Amino acid sequence: MRILIVDDFSTMRRIIKNLLRDLGFNNTLEADDGLTALPILQAGGIDFLVTDWNMPGMQGIDLLKTVRADEKLSTLPVLMVTAETKREQIIEAAQAGVNGYIVKPFTAATLKEKIEKIFERINAQ
Amino acid sequence: MASMNKDIQLDAARALVTALENNDDTTAGKQLAILTQSHESQLFKDVGKLTRELHEALNNFNIDSRLVDLAQNDIPNTRDRLNFVITTTEEAAHKTLSHIDKTMPLAQELRETAEKIDESWLRFRKKEMNADEFRQLVKEIEAYLPTVKQHADQVHANLSEMTLAQGFQDLTGQVIRQVISLVEEVEASLVQLVKVAGKHQQNVTTKKEIDPIKAEGPQINAQDNPNVVNNQDDVDDLLSSLGF
Repeated sequence: MRILIVDDFSTMRRIIKNLLRDLGFNNTLEADDGLTALPILQAGGIDFLVTDWNMPGMQGIDLLKTVRADEKLSTLPVLMVTAETKREQIIEAAQAGVNGYIVKPFTAATLKEKIEKIFERINAQ
Repeated sequence: MASMNKDIQLDAARALVTALENNDDTTAGKQLAILTQSHESQLFKDVGKLTRELHEALNNFNIDSRLVDLAQNDIPNTRDRLNFVITTTEEAAHKTLSHIDKTMPLAQELRETAEKIDESWLRFRKKEMNADEFRQLVKEIEAYLPTVKQHADQVHANLSEMTLAQGFQDLTGQVIRQVISLVEEVEASLVQLVKVAGKHQQNVTTKKEIDPIKAEGPQINAQDNPNVVNNQDDVDDLLSSLGF
């Protein structure tokens, strides 16, 4: 399982990386916004995407839309981990096809729960 | 230009006097027309100038209103944002320190027990220990091993909490970026105002377009805004209401 973590703050990437390692996901890659994430995703081999929303360059919501519009990436599971908490934003992300939405600050238990739920759903399909 | 106008007017005035003295009505009428015409064109110029000044004043009013908006809304909002930064960093620091406080005694306890067992073990190796003492040592070792495991788990959990507490850097960083961009906007508006006050200058202030899904970073005073969710449970409720 290869996971790409996208966040403009290196501290947050590190936090998510450490938590994922605790959950048994050791194979992670990092990118600091949508524009740097896209070539990594397009190169293939990423199984799961964890992305922030508010980033310079390309924002997480646009990265999500680009991923869904890309034939090769359209089914990639995407978990959004963000401080954006407006209803319109959450609805927009859901409509754009996000698989999970976590608001910052979050707990290790929430991250575990949402990731498990995403894979449960994928495996049930 | 003005002196030329004045010359024309003086010439016309002199010609008018001469014509009146000579009872020459036609010439007098002509000269009178020249005089009133130059007066009218001055009036038009004045009206034009006033119109231009009014237009510029209205344009300047746009910057003024943005400045008023900044002072009335954005600056108090910024105060809240900066207070959010203080509270968030304070909470994170306390959280981290609390977990350190909880972790230190665990390490200390492990070290002290290990030291005690180590001493006994050394006596056993030197054959200085009787059977009762050895049975006691075995009990101590048996009790120690599960404690090591338990404490190691607790240390791991505490370290995870400390890791999560570092999320403050991202949250406050987003808020500080917003404050920086506000300071830049205030600076730009003030510079423009100074320029406008110094000389008449065309200025264009673009009104901010409202985008409902524009990224805003952490919400300050979220509890006062019904359009904002307050926690993960609210997010989950909203998503499940959408059939998610």
